[in-house]
Amino acid sequence: MKKHYAAIIRELSWGDFKLKYYGSVFGLLWSFLKPVIMLSILYVVFYSFLKITIEHYAWYLLIGIIFWNFFADATKDSIQNMYAKAHILKNTNTPPIVVMVSSIVHSLFTFLITLVAFFAIISMFGFAPSNALFFFPCIVLLAVLLTFAVSLIIVPLSVRFKDFEHMWDIFLQMLFWVTPIVYQHYAVPAAYVKWYLLNPLARIIIDARTVILAGAFPETKQILITIGIVLFLCAAAVFIFKRSDKSLVEQL
Amino acid sequence: MNEKRPNMNPEIAIRAEHVSKVYKIPHERRVTLFETLAGYVMRKVSYETFFALEDVSFSIAKGEAIGLIGKNGSGKTTLLKILSGMIPPTSGSFAMRGKVAPFLSLGVGFHHELTAEENLYLYGAILGIPRRDITRRMSDILRFADVERFRNMKLKNFSSGMVSRLAFALMIETDSDILLLDEIFAVGDKDFIPQSFAVLEAYKKAGKTIVLASHNLALIESYCHKTMLLSEGKLEAFGNTKDVIARYVAH
Repeated sequence: MKKHYAAIIRELSWGDFKLKYYGSVFGLLWSFLKPVIMLSILYVVFYSFLKITIEHYAWYLLIGIIFWNFFADATKDSIQNMYAKAHILKNTNTPPIVVMVSSIVHSLFTFLITLVAFFAIISMFGFAPSNALFFFPCIVLLAVLLTFAVSLIIVPLSVRFKDFEHMWDIFLQMLFWVTPIVYQHYAVPAAYVKWYLLNPLARIIIDARTVILAGAFPETKQILITIGIVLFLCAAAVFIFKRSDKSLVEQL
Repeated sequence: MNEKRPNMNPEIAIRAEHVSKVYKIPHERRVTLFETLAGYVMRKVSYETFFALEDVSFSIAKGEAIGLIGKNGSGKTTLLKILSGMIPPTSGSFAMRGKVAPFLSLGVGFHHELTAEENLYLYGAILGIPRRDITRRMSDILRFADVERFRNMKLKNFSSGMVSRLAFALMIETDSDILLLDEIFAVGDKDFIPQSFAVLEAYKKAGKTIVLASHNLALIESYCHKTMLLSEGKLEAFGNTKDVIARYVAH
């Protein structure tokens, strides 16, 4: 039974990946173009216009953008994918969670390809990897778990309430600015930092930069807090999703 | 299936006891969050309960071919969906003995931008057929569907008949003891229907249990041992195919 689901996840995510680039002129290039254009805009505005002073600002930005894009695109896709695969869910006994996982796996393909391209480019500019980089896969894994947990929470909501998708778009816009993507979290007023750092995506991006740009391992205490937050969200998400699982397909 | 299982004797393939499916239809369906919030505040929640299935009980012996007839909206698809485990019944219980095919209608999961071959892998995964089995049987499947020349053509360029032949050809690769089929002959042409009918005949001979929902009464009459007639969610008749069809037509 489990093997059968793994096969469905593989075929669905791979099929979606192929479909995304079928018949497009730039093909795979699109997954690089999006972060590069975002990088150019933010770089010009914040570095040239607003004179932000952060070391290696282009790389700093790019790491934030890549993780952000994965989180934002994967969560949005997970909502849309539910409707795109409604015919499968309604006419076979494939459980909704299989479709959710396939959606995340599909987003993960693009995320990993972008990361490979990122490391290729940064090496061309003389980036010297340190031992800390061995920790990077753990950070990627945390990002994936976080994204999965959030999807498990928002998908039932968006199926139940048709306007949730719009709310999620607005929420993402807000989240973008309460996540240290264009600025450093030190810029947040000291009174709010404690709350600010409850945002697991902020913590993950901060750790990713520590590992890549500073070549240092994240502080043990901090990374344990990050893992704690992510695991708590996963547990809550599984609990919420299980409760809605049965009626989810009927509401689609 | 975690429903309470009724006791079953080994000769029974499907047993349903007092199965009901109730849909609550709010008088003003609230789909947006704002409407729901407003609804909670104003306490104006009025529902109409609609019985898609009402107290349906029956048992089907192993190896029987059962026709399922009734008007549109009489609960045929709901019943098949419950039996296949896609939706839970509101009350009542049911039990199945043997492997149930994981689909009701053909071509589910087919994607029009993918080629015939790619779709067979995708659809095959959904039906639970291992990838290597599809690879091994690929030529046979395409030959049965009579689309060998188009194996690398995108499905959007196929005629609807070709698509359903392909779906049928793959369906017969699944290894199930119980098949629940919902209007699978709605789109076939005059050559395809006898071809697929022959396969169903072979299934019957092989002792598989089949429930076939259809509006094609001639097909039901020639194929099914017994027939169920559903009317507004209730099991109105279950017995000899000829008698049940006569009763349905007389209505």
